[in-house]
Amino acid sequence: MAKPKVAFYWNASCGGCEEAVVDLAEDILKVVEAVDIIFWPVALDFKRSDIEAMDDGEIAVSFINGAIRTEEQEEMVKLLRRKSGLVVAFGSCAHIGGIPGLANFWNRDTIFERAYKEVPSVENPEGIFPRTETQLGNESLTLPEFHNTVRTLGQVIDVDYYLPGCAPPPESIMDAVTAILEGKLPEKGTVLAPDKSLCDTCPRTESKPEKISIKEIKRPHEITPDPEKCFLEEGIICLGPATRSGCGERCINANMPCRGCFGPITGVGDHGARSLSFIASILGLEDEKKMTEEDVQGLIDKIADPAGLFYMYSLPSSLLKRRKMV
Amino acid sequence: MKKKQGENPKIIVFCCNWSVNPGLRLSVFPDEEETTFKTIVTMCCGRVGPELILEAFTRGAWGVMLAGCPPEECEHDGNYKARKRVLLIKKTLEQFNIEPERVALEWFSTGESDKLKKSVETFIEKIVEYGPLELSS
Repeated sequence: MAKPKVAFYWNASCGGCEEAVVDLAEDILKVVEAVDIIFWPVALDFKRSDIEAMDDGEIAVSFINGAIRTEEQEEMVKLLRRKSGLVVAFGSCAHIGGIPGLANFWNRDTIFERAYKEVPSVENPEGIFPRTETQLGNESLTLPEFHNTVRTLGQVIDVDYYLPGCAPPPESIMDAVTAILEGKLPEKGTVLAPDKSLCDTCPRTESKPEKISIKEIKRPHEITPDPEKCFLEEGIICLGPATRSGCGERCINANMPCRGCFGPITGVGDHGARSLSFIASILGLEDEKKMTEEDVQGLIDKIADPAGLFYMYSLPSSLLKRRKMV
Repeated sequence: MKKKQGENPKIIVFCCNWSVNPGLRLSVFPDEEETTFKTIVTMCCGRVGPELILEAFTRGAWGVMLAGCPPEECEHDGNYKARKRVLLIKKTLEQFNIEPERVALEWFSTGESDKLKKSVETFIEKIVEYGPLELSS
């Protein structure tokens, strides 16, 4: 019997998701034994035309990482969608927008202005910016259009499953691959990670006090956090309460707070807003009745970049999706 | 941005069920008076999460006001939570280039529906100067 065909593709991403597949280590041999990898730009020399030549639905599953930033990415994922039985949004960027999604605090013009003109290492006195078409003698050179707004994969094509994480841990990749091969798949649209918050599985939860009150916000570089204590108890913003577990607590174990790469737990519509909500609730909780509005403002002013912090991974999938441009 | 011709400001007021809302209902019931704003009754202003405020904006609200109980008058201390949330959401909205004044939190005791109506009118006057919130796509 022919082995099921699998494709890997990348969009607006850093390459870490490709690395995560490599991190399967010896397990990747089991994957290769069970499936035919027919497309994987980072590792294999197959072309878009090879995909175009395939029948619709011929690929059993496409694992697609990265957010959608350009016209080319949009075309490729639409093509892969047509040719695939299943599409798995692989990693934070495809799932909720990820770090590339932070570009939604700007738009094409402001990004081009910064990247191709203002950056100190760039000299561009003529103000030449990327164009979709450039005439060179008789030849016309083209580039894909750079969209104003970064979108999640699910905002561009129909997605069957979401494998969260920056990057997804090898164990959850193996679990997903095994579930697909054995046909033991959950309901369409499921996020393939436990539906509980990170705090539920956090190694520091045992020592966490019943009630947490943040007297003063601290940034991770300002103190050396006690590796036994809950970050929130120490005044360091940690998005654990609103974030899905399943990451293996990699950041926590490296003594860094959660930044939300696994996205929200079920029932949370806007990861950033919910995070903002719980932080505000425990901010100065002990003395909240005695505080004046100025006192509260003083505490809040210590949060240098709330939008960037609360929406670090989820801006494109949030309610507002992007900054309002004039 | 000025108010667009032929367009009425869309203002949402989240109103606490246990203080100002009953009086407000009595004063406008039964539809004798057309209000220029819509009220959504909540069980406590502390229950109005930032997600609800943002959702109101994505559904076309020009401004959102939370009408909560004054300090010491809320049985759940939800008003203190609401105050902190509103101040933090205002700071966050600025980064989204949305005028923070589009969100307001005001305190009203039971029976202060007149005060509420006046506050909302003042709020509307200010919001009309900003006009509709045109979010980018």
